[in-house]
Amino acid sequence: MSLVYFKNVSKSYNGNLILDDITFSLEPGEFVVLVGKSGVGKTTLLKMLIRDELPTKGKIYFNNQDIGKFKPHEVAILRRKIGFVFQDFKLLSNKTAYENVAFAMEVAGYPESTIKRDVPEVLKLVNLEHIADHFPYQMSAGEKQRTVIARALIQRPELILADEPTGNLDPINTWEIVKLLIKINELGTAIILATHDKEIVNTLGKRVISLENGKIIRDEKEGKYII
Amino acid sequence: MIENLQRILKTAWQGLKRNGWLSIACITMITLSLILFSSMLLFNYISNSFINVLKSKMDLSIYFQNNIPEEDVLKIKDELLKNDLIDSITYTSKEEALKNFEEQAKYNPALEQALNLVGENPLTASLNIKAKNPKDYDKIINAINNSDFKDKLLQIDLTQNQRIINRMNTISWLIKIVSLVVIGLLVFLSFIISFNTIRMAIYSLREEIEIMKLVGANNWFIRGPFLLEGILQGLVASVITTIIFTTAILIFGTKIENFVPGSGLAIYFWSHFWFIFFWQTVFGIFLGAISSFWALRHYLKI
Repeated sequence: MSLVYFKNVSKSYNGNLILDDITFSLEPGEFVVLVGKSGVGKTTLLKMLIRDELPTKGKIYFNNQDIGKFKPHEVAILRRKIGFVFQDFKLLSNKTAYENVAFAMEVAGYPESTIKRDVPEVLKLVNLEHIADHFPYQMSAGEKQRTVIARALIQRPELILADEPTGNLDPINTWEIVKLLIKINELGTAIILATHDKEIVNTLGKRVISLENGKIIRDEKEGKYII
Repeated sequence: MIENLQRILKTAWQGLKRNGWLSIACITMITLSLILFSSMLLFNYISNSFINVLKSKMDLSIYFQNNIPEEDVLKIKDELLKNDLIDSITYTSKEEALKNFEEQAKYNPALEQALNLVGENPLTASLNIKAKNPKDYDKIINAINNSDFKDKLLQIDLTQNQRIINRMNTISWLIKIVSLVVIGLLVFLSFIISFNTIRMAIYSLREEIEIMKLVGANNWFIRGPFLLEGILQGLVASVITTIIFTTAILIFGTKIENFVPGSGLAIYFWSHFWFIFFWQTVFGIFLGAISSFWALRHYLKI
């Protein structure tokens, strides 16, 4: 049983075809790197998976369910099962690191006691316990991104989507984030990492799906960045 | 459920605190709206009482011929009192009329002289009639003209009163319509301004709303704190408005009383304090909540 299944998915904006007949599947616990130039449609592909965008054609399945047929409350539940790590962080600016992570649990209706137990643990995992009470404007880019990862992790998602998570980071922070993602994957969470960072792709040695002109041009186990 | 409510309360409170300036802007706008709203209540009262004061000064006098005995006049008075349109009748006898006249004449030597010249009491008995509704003076005059005692009358103060009556009715109608239109327009404008302020506040938080959605919050979880914030803003604005009005009435109450005698604005305000506060709060909460709800609609579509 696949965790994710894209079946002949196309997406166009105002007649412009961005993604063309995309078909692939992802098994539970798999690590996939999605590569391609900026603007090739990586972000659109990830956004469709949490139904932030709808495909123009084709179907997307998560745990064998057609997410195109989901009602609003089912979409909310879907988004709790898929953690999203954004390049531009998307942290709630008027909440502290702790509150940002806790918020993801609050929306899922976890009891306060569980939140008080889990949030410090996850913050520790991403090495942020010392700035739990900092607001986003008081954090460095690396700290923000680790907060975002903590928020994605807190709901024990089956899948984490990381969209250029290192795009705004210096090399040292970049590797910390990559190592963190590997660690999370080893604990059993499937990951789709969208990036155009050649070095990361080549060092990881994971499955690589390459996009060009809206199509999948290569899908290799232990792939390299060749575009 | 209770946990969710607690979270919504907590989030709303944080929102108010951490978006301080936005909250202040919204509260200010709602306060302005509420000041207009409550001014409307008070102005409506003042204009009504102003008209009532004017109306109560209107009356109708009928003067009897000199040879009509007092018993007859009193009988006519009783008969007139049976008329539903008449509120009260005051009887002034010949002697009382003279006394009143002499009282006034004290300060006017010419009148005093004239009175001395005549020698005997030239004044007649009269009935002073007040109608329940000033519009009905016409009908009362008609009734008197058609009555059996018409020939016992010397004079009805008709023409002069007629003019006043008509003018009064036009003026009171005009004041009511104009004030209603102007105030309705102001309340509407203030509503639009408050609504837009709240909409802009929410617009500035659209990214936050987007993020909440992406993290998997359902619509009510996002909406709740915003609605509550709107309600709290309405409540705070209502309290501020009440403080402003209370202070204004304490300071200017007597001055207004001088300007519109008999309006009893201060008395009205204190006796209707909770009534005004209640409706003003309802209006404020309605304004805050509806604006937030409406402004959010756009961002909560999936």
